[in-house]
Amino acid sequence: MSDETYTDEQLNLFIDDQLDTDEKDAIRHAVLEDASIRERVCQLKAVRELVGYAYENVPVTDSIASERSQRQRNYLWKGVAAGLMLAVGMFAGWVVNDVARTTQIASAEDVFQYYKSATQADRAERKIILHVTTGDIYAVKSALDEAEQLLASYRDAGTPMKLDIVTYKQGINMLRVGSSPYVDRIEGIIENNANVSLYACMHSIDKAEQKEGKPIVMMDKAVTNKSAQELISERLQKGWIYIKV
Amino acid sequence: MKKIRNLFAAARLKQEFANRRNKLYRVAFSWCHNTSLADDLVQETMLKAMKNADSLRNPATLDTWLYRILLNNWHDYLRVQGRNTELYDVSDENQPGHDDSYQQSQIVGRVRASVQRLPMSLREVVTLADFAGFSYAEIAEIVDIPIGTVMSRLYRARQNLKEQLLDLADEGKLPVRLMRVK
Repeated sequence: MSDETYTDEQLNLFIDDQLDTDEKDAIRHAVLEDASIRERVCQLKAVRELVGYAYENVPVTDSIASERSQRQRNYLWKGVAAGLMLAVGMFAGWVVNDVARTTQIASAEDVFQYYKSATQADRAERKIILHVTTGDIYAVKSALDEAEQLLASYRDAGTPMKLDIVTYKQGINMLRVGSSPYVDRIEGIIENNANVSLYACMHSIDKAEQKEGKPIVMMDKAVTNKSAQELISERLQKGWIYIKV
Repeated sequence: MKKIRNLFAAARLKQEFANRRNKLYRVAFSWCHNTSLADDLVQETMLKAMKNADSLRNPATLDTWLYRILLNNWHDYLRVQGRNTELYDVSDENQPGHDDSYQQSQIVGRVRASVQRLPMSLREVVTLADFAGFSYAEIAEIVDIPIGTVMSRLYRARQNLKEQLLDLADEGKLPVRLMRVK
């Protein structure tokens, strides 16, 4: 397939999810097949990620902050209980925002890392975490496409790699026996690639079991005795590349 | 009863505006790269939004409606200043806060400087897409241009940024290690 098959305008539409399913599938296939198209997609994604990253932490100005404080003070009449809930909520929000910020940073960084890795094609082993946090069937399919794409591109380049698929929250559903439509496909990936490991966050499993009131069954190959946060933190500290789906 | 309902509706709307305020501010900053001006633009947007809340027929379009007001305010400002192109003069506010790590600051500074060098029409579209996360159709609505124009502006903006940013990465001038999750 020629690199010129798709224009950058079409690839922009692809990364911005503005194409219909058939067109999207065609380009996804091209991305899997053609390293140069893959690289162009990666570059466009890198630009998009960096622009998003560059402005997400612009500090709010005093007037905005003070107005927010004023709004918060106005709520105090609602009583101590409400105040306590607000404080808990604000703390939770801070934690969530902080996680989102670090995730975004890692993501922007790693698109660059991935781009550089693909172009430099050195022989050092690549270690990649694919973090799946959603049970959305389309997103899970994308995650598996992404995994296969990564495996194929590194195999073709003769570069050793290790891929850990870490599922969290609704993402654990992709590894659930009896409910995930992708169990067979994932089994196939594992059988054909000894360098791929599966993880389901133990906290997410606990929560799902509490919610459903019954044990849930995960794929045999899935490791289920660690939290996703713990797994990802460990790996990032060791220099793994992080990709969030 | 109707008055009470209206009061609740107004309070709800005010809260909806407030929830979007920080994002509006950051988008305004991405256009003007000036904190005071971004603040003024958002204040003005909030005032106009409250005053013209009746004209918002469909609550689902609140975001595009608000950003359209913001963009109009920005264009009004540029018109008054006689600077309706990319030559808006910006101070060192382009740099991120001192709390950021050095490498992180460098990346953010580079990207903001690159965005700032874009012609205004491209800058507005690329930040609405890549930072604010609007679809092409929503951007077309906000900027009041055809979707095809959104596509071509986005294409040109990203090509321009790609040349600026990826070249730097290849030359090793742009640090690729930002930070690690602790």
